[in-house]
Amino acid sequence: MSDFFAEVERRAYKQALFAVRDDHQALDIVQDAMLKLTERYSGNPATELPLLFQRILQNTIRDFYRRQKVRALWTTPISSLFGADADPDTDPLETLEVQDDSKFSEPPAEQLERSQVLALIEKALQLLPVRQRQAFLLRYWEELDVAAAAKIMGCSEGSVKTHCSRAVHALAATLEKQGIKL
Amino acid sequence: MNQPEHELARKLVQHLDDGVGRLEPGVRGRLLAARNTALSHYREKPQSVRGLAWASATAGRRGEYRFLDPRHLVVGTAIVLAVVGVVWWQSNGNPASELAEIDSHLLSDELPVNAYLDKGFDSWLKRSSR
Repeated sequence: MSDFFAEVERRAYKQALFAVRDDHQALDIVQDAMLKLTERYSGNPATELPLLFQRILQNTIRDFYRRQKVRALWTTPISSLFGADADPDTDPLETLEVQDDSKFSEPPAEQLERSQVLALIEKALQLLPVRQRQAFLLRYWEELDVAAAAKIMGCSEGSVKTHCSRAVHALAATLEKQGIKL
Repeated sequence: MNQPEHELARKLVQHLDDGVGRLEPGVRGRLLAARNTALSHYREKPQSVRGLAWASATAGRRGEYRFLDPRHLVVGTAIVLAVVGVVWWQSNGNPASELAEIDSHLLSDELPVNAYLDKGFDSWLKRSSR
């Protein structure tokens, strides 16, 4: 279990950070996911751990979004009075868009260091819609197959493929806009 | 986009992997602390229920010992209680057994004093002696 955590914890932290954009919250999410895995699935075979951990991690991130939404309803009573997102059939994760960032409006530097490219990629990932980022990270970074990613995301395999494709195109477009060609 | 999708994805992931390798020491330290917390929690669990360690370990092997499944334990306990209740009722509370006991005393002429104090029994005795 220790070796497994050592292998996945940094990627898990980054995933959580892309999602919540707060390093303290991201670390808390990773710790919660680790605790849940040890509490509930410590007896499971090692081959099952990656999938279980990813599912727990994604659920913990989703719980964070839900808590944030509830908190927002209390802290911004006006928005709740007008019922901006009162439709129960709408999945907020499907439509949640992040705000544009001023960094992308600035012209890119002529010579970007590797760390700067990474920073841009990470920023571009944060700007992706939640489901696209989730699909991209699960499929390409965690190297899960489409079926496993679909199970974790709670959607069809076709949706995962669509989200992945859109994510890659969006990332490429954003990076090209900054003059970066991978 | 000119490049194939998966090729571009692979290059993006390479950059992300580089980033993971260059995490700040503070973050790495906190992740290590989080890992240790989770693992210590995992190790403490069996100690806190040491008395039930054998039972839980055995119950965990459901395939081998199905009767130790909590649901089966509840059903088993209910059956045992029901059997004990029936036995107790048969031996103590059953009116038929009381009558059988009185009959046997009557036949063996060993009636208790209380029987002679019972008015109904006295009248029955007089009627039967005529």
